[in-house]
Amino acid sequence: MALTTLWDVAYFLASALLTLVGRVIPPLAAPLSNGDVIWGLSALVFGAILLAASMINTIMLIWFERKMLGRFMDRRGAMHVGYAGLLQNFADGLKLFRKNTFKPREADELGFYAGPIAYMVTSLLMFGVLPISTGWSDGSLPLSMLLALVIFSFAPLFIFISAWSSNNKYSLMGGMRSAAQMIAYEVPILLAVVAVVLVSGSFDLNTIVAEQQNYWFWGPLVLAMVVFAIGMLAEMERIPFDLPEAEAELVEGWNTEYGGMLFAFFMLADYLRALAGSFLIVLLFLGGWTLPTYVPSALTTFPLAGIFWFLVKTYAVFGVFVWIRAALPRVRTDQLLRIGWMRMIPLSLAAVVLAAALVLVKCLPVFGCIPSMGG
Amino acid sequence: MAAEVDTKKRAQGEGDQGLIVKPMYTAARQFMKSLVRPSTIVYPFERLEDPKFRGEVRVASGKPIGVGEVWDNYRGVHALNINTCISCNLCAFSCPDLCIDMVTVPGGDPKHPKKCPEIDYGKCSYCGFCSDACPEGCLTMTTRYELSVTKRSDMVYSPQKMFDQFQRKLPMNPIRLARPANEDAILLDAPLCIGCNACSRDCPTNCITMLDIPKGTPKPGEKPAKRIWKEPVINDSDCVRCGTCISVCPKECLFWGTHT
Ligand code: SF4
Ligand code: SF4
Ligand code: SF4
Repeated sequence: MALTTLWDVAYFLASALLTLVGRVIPPLAAPLSNGDVIWGLSALVFGAILLAASMINTIMLIWFERKMLGRFMDRRGAMHVGYAGLLQNFADGLKLFRKNTFKPREADELGFYAGPIAYMVTSLLMFGVLPISTGWSDGSLPLSMLLALVIFSFAPLFIFISAWSSNNKYSLMGGMRSAAQMIAYEVPILLAVVAVVLVSGSFDLNTIVAEQQNYWFWGPLVLAMVVFAIGMLAEMERIPFDLPEAEAELVEGWNTEYGGMLFAFFMLADYLRALAGSFLIVLLFLGGWTLPTYVPSALTTFPLAGIFWFLVKTYAVFGVFVWIRAALPRVRTDQLLRIGWMRMIPLSLAAVVLAAALVLVKCLPVFGCIPSMGG
Repeated sequence: MAAEVDTKKRAQGEGDQGLIVKPMYTAARQFMKSLVRPSTIVYPFERLEDPKFRGEVRVASGKPIGVGEVWDNYRGVHALNINTCISCNLCAFSCPDLCIDMVTVPGGDPKHPKKCPEIDYGKCSYCGFCSDACPEGCLTMTTRYELSVTKRSDMVYSPQKMFDQFQRKLPMNPIRLARPANEDAILLDAPLCIGCNACSRDCPTNCITMLDIPKGTPKPGEKPAKRIWKEPVINDSDCVRCGTCISVCPKECLFWGTHT
């Protein structure tokens, strides 16, 4: 069996494991070779691989940000635990894990505990539909991009629930800002996505990447990409749009009352969302795991080349976000909303019109001839 | 409200360009600059006083930290070269905080033990007077500034410990203030001297020689004076003006003065 898709790998691992158990304990051999059992276990293995991949990437992303931000500030960032501080985040996580979680007396118990967990879970859920290479997901989700965006926009709900249940005015203000901001920027993001859909003709992320075989979409859709990236910045609540947790005004924003593991959930989920946002930008505009055809084939045919190039692109995109974080000041709430409603939405509408025009006059293949855009 | 802000911004020439492009450029430049080596000195592993940073690390104004700037004038933990210390006590005399004790170190003879300074850094104010006073230049101040200890008694640095500092060959700062040539000399009130040899014995530089003098003839009716017929002669060029002889003289016949 050729192990070309992630599901094949999971299935192979699961059946190998079950066969092994069957060998060691003969009476179990018959029930374990049942197809449903193998299928169930491979589903678990599949999920575990996705979970591990997203978690490890997220933690590396945090490391990447700490190192890069350090350079921007003329310092070094984490450097002691592991080589060049690679394991620092694991150490930090362990520390948070060991800490006592406490709850304010007046807080609402259900919302207080359920909020961060739901936030974390929905953030993780996104990685079930985001393919990072061919064969990563089996292509049976024709609306995978919509699904990813829908899961992405769950966040303000759970943030607001945890903020409300914390029973703290700073948390509440942070939560309200967060909700307002995410709703405001959801619109331009979706409009920018419409432009992508017009050009690619599909809601399936795999198809969208396949359509970029000839030219990456950032060429024709540069306006949409800018709008999408700025919208993503706001959705991720990163500087300059991090006012839901503006430390100078709101202590720590909507997660003020959280400590220990629950706080770690919030942090992790924030970075999971940052990772997912970078994934989306790479998938929609930067050609996913494809490389331009003039690149020597040695660079694209080694094992796991797709995943490698995808991650390189993702980290580059995230690097730009870190750069923005290092350089720009935080905007005010009114400025944020004004940018969202009065600049982003017209720009994204213009992007949609532009994309439609490009499709109508059928001049898209032109972009395939420009070397820097692939093709 | 928003429009007002915009006008103000435009008046200051700060549109999007000033708010986005410029900071992005500045940040990118900083990133490139520190890509290879950020300015941070990784403190416990690298030290600013390390000569390899001289002239390289710069303070905000662009001046290099180093030569003639900070470290050449730094007064940190003392280094003591036990081998050249002559036990003259001058360091202990000059200390305004009385934090120097002279303690016995191996190397002297039993009759004449060798004493070297022991400094209590709990009291030391790093004034550098001791280093200035040391005639042999064996007590100097280094650039070492780390003194954290867990016991108060560890703040007391024995001569041996300061000798270790000396052997680490940190940049050292012999504090020598410019001052006029010392015209003071040890003078002898000869009629009082009993020739006891105490001064000569305790002189750290052995610059006192006891010379024979003619036996005095007692005046009629008096007993002959009970003394040794010797008198100290002090070699001024070797004398470090420590005053040890003055303090050990049982007859108080030595005193500070100038040769006439
Ligand atoms: S530096 Fe000053 S205070 Fe410290 S031991 Fe020397 S004379 Fe005393
Ligand atoms: S002043 Fe110098 S030579 Fe004299 S006792 Fe102190 S360290 Fe020794
Ligand atoms: S110590 Fe005083 S009394 Fe003794 S030899 Fe010296 S000068 Fe004379």
